[in-house]
Amino acid sequence: MKVEIVIYIYGAVCASMIVFNIIYNILLRRREVLSDQRYGRIRVQLEEQFRRIRKQERIGENHLKFLRRKLRRVNILISYERALRVVTKKNPKEEVEAYFLQVEPVILYLAAVYSKREKMQAGYFAYFLSEYAVKKERPIDSMQKVLLVYASKDNLYCRVNALKALYHFGNVENVIAALKIQDDGKIYINQKILTEGLLTFQGDHDALIHRLWEDFSSFSDHTKLAVLNYIRFKTGDYKEEFYEIMTNEKADKELRLSAVRYFGKYIYPPALDHLLEFVLDHDPSRWEYATVAVSSLGRYEGEKVIQALKDAIHSPNWYVRYGAAQALEAHHLQYSELFDIVNGSDRYAREMMIYRLESQAIQAAGGDGT
Amino acid sequence: MMDAYKTFFEYVGIFFIIYLIGYASFLFLSVAVGSSALYQTKRRNRLKNELLGDYYVPVSVIVPAYNEEVTIEASIRSLLALDYKLYEIIVVDDGSRDNTSAIVQEVFQMHHVNRPIQRKVPCQPEEAVYEAYNQKVPITLIRKKNGGKADALNMGINASKYPYFICMDADSVLQHDSLEKIVRPVLEEGNVVAVGGAVRPANGTKIENGRVVSYHMPNKVLPCMQVLEYDRSFLAARILFDKFNGSIIISGAFGLFKKSVVADAGGYDANTMGEDMELVVKLHVFCREHNLPYRIRYATDAICWTQAPEFLRDLRKQRKRWHIGLYQSMKNHRRIFANTKYGLVGFVSYLYFLIYELLSPYIEVFGLFTVVLAFAVDLINVPFMILFFFIYVIYSAVLSLTAFFSRIHTIDLKLTAADVIKAIGLCALEVSCLRLILAWTRATALIGYKKGKQSWGSIERKKIEFK
Repeated sequence: MKVEIVIYIYGAVCASMIVFNIIYNILLRRREVLSDQRYGRIRVQLEEQFRRIRKQERIGENHLKFLRRKLRRVNILISYERALRVVTKKNPKEEVEAYFLQVEPVILYLAAVYSKREKMQAGYFAYFLSEYAVKKERPIDSMQKVLLVYASKDNLYCRVNALKALYHFGNVENVIAALKIQDDGKIYINQKILTEGLLTFQGDHDALIHRLWEDFSSFSDHTKLAVLNYIRFKTGDYKEEFYEIMTNEKADKELRLSAVRYFGKYIYPPALDHLLEFVLDHDPSRWEYATVAVSSLGRYEGEKVIQALKDAIHSPNWYVRYGAAQALEAHHLQYSELFDIVNGSDRYAREMMIYRLESQAIQAAGGDGT
Repeated sequence: MMDAYKTFFEYVGIFFIIYLIGYASFLFLSVAVGSSALYQTKRRNRLKNELLGDYYVPVSVIVPAYNEEVTIEASIRSLLALDYKLYEIIVVDDGSRDNTSAIVQEVFQMHHVNRPIQRKVPCQPEEAVYEAYNQKVPITLIRKKNGGKADALNMGINASKYPYFICMDADSVLQHDSLEKIVRPVLEEGNVVAVGGAVRPANGTKIENGRVVSYHMPNKVLPCMQVLEYDRSFLAARILFDKFNGSIIISGAFGLFKKSVVADAGGYDANTMGEDMELVVKLHVFCREHNLPYRIRYATDAICWTQAPEFLRDLRKQRKRWHIGLYQSMKNHRRIFANTKYGLVGFVSYLYFLIYELLSPYIEVFGLFTVVLAFAVDLINVPFMILFFFIYVIYSAVLSLTAFFSRIHTIDLKLTAADVIKAIGLCALEVSCLRLILAWTRATALIGYKKGKQSWGSIERKKIEFK
């Protein structure tokens, strides 16, 4: 009898799975059909609104009512976004701008509605805002305030999209505020995403960097690293500040390494002695500093630099040797100047240098060595 | 005597009821969780809850090759067509006896270089290194002394320049967006040390420039059954294990790893046949022993297409190899079993693989033997046995189909009525016949097994049609 119960349970599971498969399949097909129909209707509506804009008329009150009432449903918002993507591509930029200017109150209203929705829907609305409703020319304050709410949601995509939208607005203070909000430690945002995002900022980069530096100490090391990398890509005006980080033994290792890289991009003579110190430090636990420093020395001139690189190519660490060979290669030395390495007794140094020279020749000849 | 038989069968009966309830529950749970995760992913993508920017994590793609002259060119060409910017390709020819190296050198105009390769992880020495910079990304070819797939992958790790590497098979094709999808978990979470990709049988699928242009169930029965088996056993189960950081296998056909952690853990073990599973278990052990926070993830939408064996002989060879690899990994890391230090990996993942993967073929063969014995002594209720078997087949088949349709629905593939009929018709055959054949194959896999004897699997290669 007990075994029969087990069989009945299995049978019931089978039956429910079959029913689930059939119903889901039907629902899926129906949803696709409905979505296509909805998309078609909204597209017609949008085209009509753009015709009105072309005739210098305001967009219809019914359209605004429709948007306000219906776009609260996420499936309709998806269809609207799909139609919008097609229609905005076909129309001139000015007309698209005029359309968004008129629907702005509705979008603001919807932004407030979706900010209270579950995180996936909120994430979708943040995406919608970042793609459509954000133009530097229309820096609406209330919209940016809503975006700050989105930036604080416990959803990575919501935060990333809100940040993206705020970068587009180009307002320094709001970007700083958003960066502080995302730094609350609740959601991990990869440092690469933060740096790439900051690089898309549409406002005054110098002003942003200035403000970032003012508030630098209030950020976590994770965000600090993203900020340093962003500054490295943008300006060489922060040499003294980076020098301080590089020479600060108590600073986080990644921050110091980022500072060493900075001096590989922007030459700063006072940093040279410290870079040489990193290179000549044979403590195996500090090999990362030596590796980054040798790469940075590729842009510094002088006998001291060449000698340090020639010493570094004898390092027991493969990465230091590789970096040193690359840096020597960057100095475009004559073969005779590298004679002591390529004909020296240190096989590892010799092999590394010869390899870099060969590799450089292949790349210089267009990649195929011909 | 009869009493002894009765007592014996009673205990056997109790054992199998517990065993099957365990299996049925796991199967149900994995398919339910797997399907739900797939639908959730579809919803997430529909609502654009994904990283849409061009965030490129630099990746080295390592292609270990042994006697791959038929497939290697198409394989590299497919890698060059990927929608990704920051990667390099490293082909490691593990002492092939055919023209694998010569073809790569000639087709991609490679040049011999005297490149010093560091030894972060042990491997056989290189014989020659070639480089080419005339393609979309740099290509390196390393010809080395034969040492097996694990050894070739270790050489690739040593030669790689980037912080993450991808291992793959030379006869597989990565979908155009697969690199972007497989690195996404690395961007989404801070401590990801490995990400498994989804491996799918390419038989019956037409792929152009890494894009699926038509998808059908394979024409041949055997690959068709493997399609269903992949969805039920691999896709669903791996999603379930991913939920509690309990994945202990990432297919050797497509996986992403953080190089520094793999190197610190000692790289691939060249003395095992299941180097893919061995590495993942080793990463769990390494990270937990050193108290490193870590995550091993599974990316269901990072897709690699591979040729499923079309002949039973090849399929049996493949499964024998997998089973020996499983045995070696489980034996090497037996201390994690039920060890609180390893959390759910030791209690759930290891236990599942021990009972339902490693021992299951023996249990199933033993089950068949007791059925025959019970029949011989007239201690079996034949109609009930048939009913029970029928229910078992239907149950497994329905769950296979659920996993299969979940995948199809969630990646917007369209099936023809013939494909659906084929899937429904063959799922019962797969559960009732193929499973038993493979159980026997796996049960006999360890016969003649010698410790330390490694070789590349030799499955008949078909030229990859890459357009």
